[in-house]
Amino acid sequence: MVVDLLQNTLDGLMLGAAYALLALGFTLIFGVLRRANLAYGPAIMIGAYAATWVHLQFHAGFLVIALVTIAAAMAAGAYVEQLCFAPHARRSRGAGDAGAVAAMVGSFALWMQLEEAATLWLPKHLYSFPPLYDGPPIVLGPVTVRVEYLAMLACAVLAYLGLRQLLTRTRFGLAVRAVVDQADAARLAGINVPRIFMLVFAVASALGGLAGYLIVATHGQVTPMLGMWSTLKGMIAMMLGGLGSLPGAVVGGLALGLIESHSQWLFGPQYRDLIAYLILFALLAVQPSGLWAMLRRSPAPAAP
Amino acid sequence: MDEYALGVLTNVGLLSFLALSAYLLLVAGEMSFGQQAFFGVGAYAAGIGTAMWGLPLPVAVLFAMALGAAAAWLVGWPTLRLHGLYFAMATLAAAEMFRILFELVHYQRAIDGDLVGPDGTQGFRGIRWVLEQGIEQETFLAAVWALLLIVLAAFAVVERTRLGATLRMVGEDPELAAVFGVNVARVKLGVAAAAGALAALGGALYAHHNTYVEPRNFDIMLGVHSLAYALIGGLGTALGPLLGVALDIGLLESTRVFQGYRMIVFGGLVALLLIVRPRGLLDEVAVSRVAAALRRRPTA
Amino acid sequence: MLRTLLAAALAALASPALAQRLAAHVDCKPTPHDLVYDCRIALMEAASRKPVAGADLSLGADMPSMPMAHNVKPVKAKPAQTPGQYTARIELEMYGEWALKLNVRSPVRDVIVRKIDFREQP
Repeated sequence: MVVDLLQNTLDGLMLGAAYALLALGFTLIFGVLRRANLAYGPAIMIGAYAATWVHLQFHAGFLVIALVTIAAAMAAGAYVEQLCFAPHARRSRGAGDAGAVAAMVGSFALWMQLEEAATLWLPKHLYSFPPLYDGPPIVLGPVTVRVEYLAMLACAVLAYLGLRQLLTRTRFGLAVRAVVDQADAARLAGINVPRIFMLVFAVASALGGLAGYLIVATHGQVTPMLGMWSTLKGMIAMMLGGLGSLPGAVVGGLALGLIESHSQWLFGPQYRDLIAYLILFALLAVQPSGLWAMLRRSPAPAAP
Repeated sequence: MDEYALGVLTNVGLLSFLALSAYLLLVAGEMSFGQQAFFGVGAYAAGIGTAMWGLPLPVAVLFAMALGAAAAWLVGWPTLRLHGLYFAMATLAAAEMFRILFELVHYQRAIDGDLVGPDGTQGFRGIRWVLEQGIEQETFLAAVWALLLIVLAAFAVVERTRLGATLRMVGEDPELAAVFGVNVARVKLGVAAAAGALAALGGALYAHHNTYVEPRNFDIMLGVHSLAYALIGGLGTALGPLLGVALDIGLLESTRVFQGYRMIVFGGLVALLLIVRPRGLLDEVAVSRVAAALRRRPTA
Repeated sequence: MLRTLLAAALAALASPALAQRLAAHVDCKPTPHDLVYDCRIALMEAASRKPVAGADLSLGADMPSMPMAHNVKPVKAKPAQTPGQYTARIELEMYGEWALKLNVRSPVRDVIVRKIDFREQP
């Protein structure tokens, strides 16, 4: 009984690491651009598909595969940014944000486009992907932990810390925070706001590519559902933790993993998603600023 | 009529109800990812009404619309204070909950030696009222479009009244509307319920056109698509959502010009279009220009 | 005379309600062309399992996960050697699970839905 609880908690944290990585990229874009990018998951899928193609053609090593995933995801992300977010950036960004709906629906259109492009490129329902780790899982007494998931958790934490460093200790980070605070003032101070948006998008896409690589390498396979799955899980985790908050993304991702893991054990797979959605709905109805804000007992900042 | 054309026209009509549902909420200032849930509620309710309770279709449709409005109210009430992406994600969560509930419902009755009724993930077969009444496909198509025209007429009437102006004001500037004494919360709830009923109407008709529905029909893709159709067609008039549906299903899909590349073309066109027209093709500006031009025409 | 007419009328009205229900087995085999399938349909009365010959039926398809979005051209089924069996060649838009819709116009009006998962060839 206690062993099950412990195992499920561990499994949940591991699962949550993947969600946290996805949520970090989403929240970076939302925190800075104030827009939701529905094509985030599909851009990751393009990354994974490019890597799969390279794997099928050349049987390259894992480092090359990982870099291809990240690079292709960044390329797809840049395409989305130029077509959907850059043109709408100037439109009113206060209450009644006119550009937000258009940008978001535009990103949905590109989601469809990228998904169809990916399935035309590699039409099969399943492709095997070089696994991250071939060995046995670590056994710690009564519980087991898979090494790949530990790697993912480590990457999630490192990514979060890396982002924090980037945003608080570099000139780029300073410019980003200035833009988040007051985009017009930042523009007047000489900051090239469109370029900042582009670079933030690039960082978020790179994070997405990393997340995608780790997720696909852990499962050992790629399916066309990756785009929708990544978008959905990333957004749910982001909302759970607190929109636009980087620590919130990590907390939300881990929380989603824990909720799913325990719900599945207690009630079965059908109820797993039902409970996750119920918790999200209830949270939004009662405390939309998310779990991180609840934990800190203060409103979540726009950026960390 | 050619069976293919019949099918396409019917599908355009059915999807238009769902797109109009999303459009109504967009005009009132909210973006919903969850209208497909009420489409599903309408489908299941009407199906149960005719196939299991022996109700005639018109009664079952009214029942479905009432249930759709109630379900929409249930979702709308806790989410009143939410806006933008928060509201959108809440509607998505609610819609997925409905879809999973459809997967969990097992309610069957033995009728004529056959098990009829929703059977979880297996779906709901045997919604045969249209067949049993001997209604031809052409007749059903005419009925769908007649209902659609009635709905469009209702929209046209409301646009000219104070209610229509109030709705648009709530959508564009809720604070201003409140200053004018509008009970924004009540308007939003009313709009949510009406949109739910509209989606349910489409769902009820869809169930009877297809004779078979399953929970997978009502997933996120359907909802986000209908939102996109509403926005692309234009938020200036109720004809906008129809235009959006017709462009994708009627034009691109049916002409098979872009066989296999349809989404690549359509997706790209939509993104480009939204850059120049963020409120769609038939947006408020375009509609007011057309109206002005019509007013300037000299009377014969 | 009147009684015979009445009996005939009642019989004519009564039979469609029973003969209305049809059932079908559908089996689709891939062809050398991608996404084109040759389907064999066995049409029968639902209650008695008697094969129904000389029917006017067409085969259409829709995807459960994206309803109304794919408009596959319905094809008229041709009668095969065995009475009650028909063939139709259908072209789908993508791989996945499709809900095949058998639209029967004569001898009775009926619609039968069969779901088949179409997978690509390895």
